[in-house]
Amino acid sequence: MEEPDTKCQAKLESLKKEFEDFIYIISHDMKTPMRAISNISNWIEEDLGATINPSIKENFNLLKNRVQRLENMMNAMLELSRVERYDMDFIEVNIPKLIDEIIFITKDKLNTEFHISLHLKNENFITYIKKLEKVLLSVIDNSVRFNNNIKKNVYIEVVETDINYEFEIKDDGLGVEEAVKDKIFDIFYTVHSKDVLDTTGSGLAISDKILKFVGGNIEYKKNPSGGSIFKMIWPKNIEIKK
Amino acid sequence: MTQKLVNILLVEDDEVDVMNVKRAFAKNNIKNELFVAGNGVEALEMLNSSIVPLPKIIILDINMPKMNGIEFLKIMREDDRFKNISVFVMTTSNEDSDKINAYNLNVAGYILKPLSFEKFLSSVATLKNFWQLCEL
Repeated sequence: MEEPDTKCQAKLESLKKEFEDFIYIISHDMKTPMRAISNISNWIEEDLGATINPSIKENFNLLKNRVQRLENMMNAMLELSRVERYDMDFIEVNIPKLIDEIIFITKDKLNTEFHISLHLKNENFITYIKKLEKVLLSVIDNSVRFNNNIKKNVYIEVVETDINYEFEIKDDGLGVEEAVKDKIFDIFYTVHSKDVLDTTGSGLAISDKILKFVGGNIEYKKNPSGGSIFKMIWPKNIEIKK
Repeated sequence: MTQKLVNILLVEDDEVDVMNVKRAFAKNNIKNELFVAGNGVEALEMLNSSIVPLPKIIILDINMPKMNGIEFLKIMREDDRFKNISVFVMTTSNEDSDKINAYNLNVAGYILKPLSFEKFLSSVATLKNFWQLCEL
């Protein structure tokens, strides 16, 4: 019985590799012509000089914005394809310090209050530090960004169990409609039009892939008082893959 | 004060990237003579024959047809006449292996080709200060 299994496994591995290479080549090689479009549109605009027709100016802005969006999407695709191969630093992380650092680099947090509650026996553990950071940053960044309140609240709770660290990030923001709650982990899916909130829609897709990679999981729940709750289970012991 | 500007050789196969460098030079008022080679083979030919005096600075793309940037660097570093030229790698490749290969061949800098021209302009402005030191 074992043989067909091994064969299947080998086939799966080779398909996976082919798929990752494919994504990598696409996102890498397509950047050159994309950069050319961006540069040339800038040069045309420059050469037209200061007396540019407002409608042309507006179209240039749209063109540049969309090329930028395309680049963000390609970078996201590249990042997604690299989850299992890049940023593999496996070192000690201090959870309170990591959370402080993430809050520090979170953008547009001016009117946000962060409520942190930690239930930890061991503040330090050894893990894929950059991957944990990426996931927490994506979710915390979303909870600040998808929130129109004048005063925003983000609640970060970490509970240590025997085998896991459980992170719960709760906000009082816009939340996600029940009907689309499974789609939010799809790459490039955005709840709001990209013209309203210019976002790539990749943070949760990459986070989901990271959590699968480490053998944990991430899920969304609606906050009963409005907003989102993301719960992540991150195993204490991760089997290092070759 | 008259100061002799050093020659610069750009090794780059993409026409748009050549224009990019030329525009960045013009915007930063860099008046050094710029020679352009389309790949490593052409660059070696130019170094061997046509550029007088020899460039002190090379801006080098990595992914090119015929002879890529890393192969070119290897050959160049083995030649006593060329081994002291400052080389700046300018590439879309963010691969660690390319960076390591380049730094092992003693490059002065590694510029990642950005999407926007503005970012490139600021790198060129920084390089200009370095080049002025080379001219002393």
